[in-house]
Amino acid sequence: MGRTVDRFAALSLLLLVLPLFAPLFISDSYTLHFIWKILFWAALASAWNLAGGYAGQFSLGHAAFFGIGAYTSVLLYLKLGISPWIGMLVGGALAAGFALLIGALTLRLRGAFFALATIAFAEVLRIAVVNMRDLTGGAEGLSIPFAPGLGNMMFSGRAGSVVLVAALLLAIAVVTLIVERSRLGYALAALKEDEEAAEALGVDTIRVKLISIALSAFVSALGGTAYAFYILLIEPSTVLSIGMSVEMALMAIIGGMGTVLGPAIGALLIVPLSEYLRAEFAGSFQGLYLLVYGAILILMVMFMPNGLMSVVRDPRGTLRRLTLRRRTERGRKGDA
Amino acid sequence: MTAILLQLVISGLLLGGIYALVSVGLTLIFGVSRIKNFAHGDLVMVGMYVTYALTVATGLDPYLLAPVVVLLLFGFGLFLSFALIRPIQGAPQVAQIFATVGLGLVLQNLALMMYGADFRSTPSIISGKVLRFAGVALPASLLIAFVVAMVVIAGLTIFLRLSLTGKAMRAIAQDRRAASLMSIDVKRIDMLTFGLGTACAGLAGALLAPVFPAFPTVGVNLVLICFVVVILGGLGSVEGALIGGLLIGLVETLSGFFLGSAMSQIAYFLVFIAVLCLRPAGLFGQRGAETLGS
Repeated sequence: MGRTVDRFAALSLLLLVLPLFAPLFISDSYTLHFIWKILFWAALASAWNLAGGYAGQFSLGHAAFFGIGAYTSVLLYLKLGISPWIGMLVGGALAAGFALLIGALTLRLRGAFFALATIAFAEVLRIAVVNMRDLTGGAEGLSIPFAPGLGNMMFSGRAGSVVLVAALLLAIAVVTLIVERSRLGYALAALKEDEEAAEALGVDTIRVKLISIALSAFVSALGGTAYAFYILLIEPSTVLSIGMSVEMALMAIIGGMGTVLGPAIGALLIVPLSEYLRAEFAGSFQGLYLLVYGAILILMVMFMPNGLMSVVRDPRGTLRRLTLRRRTERGRKGDA
Repeated sequence: MTAILLQLVISGLLLGGIYALVSVGLTLIFGVSRIKNFAHGDLVMVGMYVTYALTVATGLDPYLLAPVVVLLLFGFGLFLSFALIRPIQGAPQVAQIFATVGLGLVLQNLALMMYGADFRSTPSIISGKVLRFAGVALPASLLIAFVVAMVVIAGLTIFLRLSLTGKAMRAIAQDRRAASLMSIDVKRIDMLTFGLGTACAGLAGALLAPVFPAFPTVGVNLVLICFVVVILGGLGSVEGALIGGLLIGLVETLSGFFLGSAMSQIAYFLVFIAVLCLRPAGLFGQRGAETLGS
């Protein structure tokens, strides 16, 4: 059993190393941007997965951590000239601190109530950023003058940025694998299964939850810095929006929560779909891609709550469960 | 100063009445079916757009069309309950949260596709009319919304206390299993509850349409306010939703006046966070209710 699991882990890592070399074979700017987008969302969904997937803490406020990462590094760079490489670590630390605060205040909350509390924290942060105009540029946000250079985390072609998000995705996957195989991972598995039982078995559920959300916030913030220094514009209406939080969660759920590859698979599927819908129906139906996102999300949680990864891992079992469910439903109707 | 304060309190209560009406549907659905409907605000948004569309199509006053909107939304609620809510009853936590989050995304973007991102205001003969009473200005549309909200909430309370269906709803809220053993048709009541809750959202939408313009994401802010109200008032409690709604209305207008509009937006989230963290069962709810729902 242990060996197959480790083979699976090795395969996952191998798959995630590949995108690092994408710029060697692709030079077309549009294609590189497309790849950047997939990798970026894969990284963010993986970051969400650390708290949402592994600890069952369904946060809908991860935009706060992402935004803290983006704003901290950009402000340090613009106001003090500090390199984003340092800014990104500062942002990560601040986001982790904010996550610990949220975690400590919402310890007793579960499920939907935790989700609501995280939305509230993220909204407070968004409103604060919109209103601290002198520091944050308010609703218009902050733009970064383009000054390519490795130290500035800005690259003249898109290849550098693609490698950067590919490395970020790989790093998050490695962290996830380490967590999964550590004592913490077993504690998380127990916590997700049954919180009371885990506590009874001596799992320090509070500590475990706090660690997982702090880790998740830290890597989300790194994603925020990578985003800011690629897009070169951050606004509260995108960076700190509920939509941002929902999309992070959505990709992870569709791909498969609580797995290393799941979030990446979710992004690999959803990003091209949204690009296609946006290109095909641009102008006439501007909300179409989000509508499709919503519909897919509903169908996934209703019929395949473990995401696409459950098909990859156990295709026959998933098929059996789907048909079995339909049969029992029919049976129930027959009784009534 | 007392005149201003009186005006602020009255405005806050009027606003709070609308919040209470929107929240009462949410708390009913939560109390009976344990469903946390993240799309509840979007159902209000649907109510606003349906009112707008009917007003434009028929040329009638939105207040005359409100009963039609309520019936349409009741039907829509029954459909949603059958197609979406029933399958996620007792499903894993993730399904319970994200199915209605997905529903919200679908509804918002359906509205965006049909009507664009522009603000749509629904005109009524009453729009802009202001009653003056002892120096206090009462916008007629807000006053109507408040009175209707109070009547509906009173009606719902009586319905829950006295009618057989209402008693069945309260029985399910107390103990779903025991209720089903007492030969209460739990599925039928669940469906009816969701229909009723959606109808309340629709009525709120119809009453809001002449007051606030409709836009696709109008429900996003509203649902957060509703959850604040519902949790403050105690989950599943209709009376709690009324008191919670009035309180949040007061908090919003008073903090808006004394601290500025930015702070007032932050204020109710801070109240929300404080209530969630310190007393998740709400001011009037039973302790431990928050774990019932998880």
